[in-house]
Amino acid sequence: MTYFYFILKSALEDFRRNKVRTLLTSLGILIGVSSVVLLMAFGLGLKKYITDQFESLGANLLIIFPGKLIQNGQFRQGPGGLGGKRFDEKDVLKLTKIKTALYIVPAFTKTVEVSGGSHTETADIYATTNDIFAIRNLELDLGSYFTATDNDKRSKYAVLGPKIAEKLFGTKETALGRSVKIENQGFKVVGILKSKGGGGFGGPDLDSFAYIPYKTSYSFNPDKKFIAINIKVDRQDNIQSTKEQVKKIMLDRYSEDDFSVIEATEILNAVSSIFAIMNAVLVAIAAISLIVGGIGIMNIMYVSVVERTKEIGIRRAVGATRSDILYQFLIESVILSLVGGFLGLLISYLVVLLVQKFFPAYMNLESILIALGVSSLIGIVFGVFPARKASLLSPIDAIRYE
Amino acid sequence: MIKLLNVSKQYTLEDEVFFALKKVSLEIGEGEFIGIVGPSGCGKSTLMHLIGLLDRPTEGQVKILGRDVFTLQDEERSKMRNQVIGFVFQQFNLLNKLTVLENVLLPTIYTRSKTDVNHQDKARALLQRFGIEKQINSYPNKISGGQQQRVAIARALINNPKIILADEPTGNLDSQSGKVILDLLGTLNKNDKITVIIVTHDKEVAGKTKRQIRLKDGEIV
Ligand SMILES: Nc1ncnc2c1ncn2[C@@H]1O[C@H](COP(=O)(O)OP(=O)(O)OP(=O)(O)O)[C@@H](O)[C@H]1O
Ligand SMILES: [Mg+2]
Repeated sequence: MTYFYFILKSALEDFRRNKVRTLLTSLGILIGVSSVVLLMAFGLGLKKYITDQFESLGANLLIIFPGKLIQNGQFRQGPGGLGGKRFDEKDVLKLTKIKTALYIVPAFTKTVEVSGGSHTETADIYATTNDIFAIRNLELDLGSYFTATDNDKRSKYAVLGPKIAEKLFGTKETALGRSVKIENQGFKVVGILKSKGGGGFGGPDLDSFAYIPYKTSYSFNPDKKFIAINIKVDRQDNIQSTKEQVKKIMLDRYSEDDFSVIEATEILNAVSSIFAIMNAVLVAIAAISLIVGGIGIMNIMYVSVVERTKEIGIRRAVGATRSDILYQFLIESVILSLVGGFLGLLISYLVVLLVQKFFPAYMNLESILIALGVSSLIGIVFGVFPARKASLLSPIDAIRYE
Repeated sequence: MIKLLNVSKQYTLEDEVFFALKKVSLEIGEGEFIGIVGPSGCGKSTLMHLIGLLDRPTEGQVKILGRDVFTLQDEERSKMRNQVIGFVFQQFNLLNKLTVLENVLLPTIYTRSKTDVNHQDKARALLQRFGIEKQINSYPNKISGGQQQRVAIARALINNPKIILADEPTGNLDSQSGKVILDLLGTLNKNDKITVIIVTHDKEVAGKTKRQIRLKDGEIV
């Protein structure tokens, strides 16, 4: 106990005497730690954002895409992405035979100009069945969904996301019951959805979607082809077997390369792995500043050892061993580094709080522990050379030093 | 208690080999009060540093309490400096960032073996005995030289050493304070049965000791 008290007091007294020097040395670590922690926080936030987005797609979902989108858990390189054949109603009919598939929901999407009120906006139309609302947890805010009958009757009904509704008509309330023009046809706004959030970072802006019955869309989709087929599986356990059945059925009409059956989580993993790599590269670059900070500590510790040669001699004369001296200087450099680490964490925390309004950054326990662990490690690694030098001084040379 | 056998210390300065000590052999018994005397540069301090395990001889053997100390590991030698030997230097060598009390306690933080002695109480008692109890929480650079030297002696005594090595302990003091320090060292020898070795070139100081070892050009005369 007293041992640490004495070493701590000696270290703190030294820092107090050299306030500016101590601060500048810690600053190096501070900058390093805060850049690493902040980049980790942004990476974490981005990952959480993406995960949330995919979760909002709904659970137990399989999606059939044309072409080969994902291979070995990565997005496919080069050509062959979203090309290939498109699907039709015959596929949907065949897929309904699968017992574990609760809903088969085809979709045709197109980015179009939508006008209504006195505005015209770009929006994604999502031509599909009424089941889309169930499988994607799209809750209604105002009005009603369109129905299966509406689809069969090719009713010109549209259910709007809240954002596009507000853009066109000012408020959601005024949008309900009004008419919007999509591809030169009038659609009645029968329902407005609750917000799902999202948009930005290239992700889909779900709140700006306009959902219409797919059969109605045939007027501007003359091939009657779908871009995707969503399949809701009854239970998590049945996802793999359902996937196999879907593939088998699809292979009757298409070749292996013309379609992919993907779980929502697979896309999530592929997207996440891209961001994880990007983030790791950035964090690695930031880590260089930590090394620079460490060299700053090493530099100051060397100076400190020279300045305190006499002190080392006195301690050796009263019985300090080489290891005692080594530990004393190691502890000091770790303290220096940890002070920088703590301040860096504090600043990162403040920055994260500040940007949270615009960016979903957040810090987890892991990044805090990593920051503190890494700063202690830097203190040890860069402190060990000066500390070793101090410990190897001969007692007599040290005590005679003026 | 202390035994030197053919101990030499040589320095090489610009290719010239120079002996600070030349084949010195001597024996010092328990409870002796020794003065090491001789002209400046004759090797007094060098001898003391070897006995105090602060420096290594170039050749020869140094035995303390029967142990051939320079065959031991650094740990062991440090332990002996901690528990068997107490130093008093001309320049006091106190740490200015620690208080008087903390300076006296400094050796105890390096003491590994457990004792049931309360070091705090002991340090206070020593400081009281030497009449500096009022300065207990002062810093060394705020007290007089005589007081600093008494703090240094208290520090040397905190672990009950068998030997006290004092290199010109009165060299930086006025004659009055010097006399106090010298009397103190005498009492430690007489009452506490500590072997006291004083390095000095002052004849008056040397006169107070019971046996003098005289050096000249690194040799005992
Ligand atoms: N580190 C060193 N390198 C070279 N020569 C040294 C070293 N230390 C001491 N000497 C030399 O060794 C000799 C003995 O020195 P020492 O300090 O033992 O003398 P001393 O008797 O204590 O003298 P003084 O009374 O002036 O303190 C001196 O000539 C000195 O110059
Ligand atoms: Mg000398």
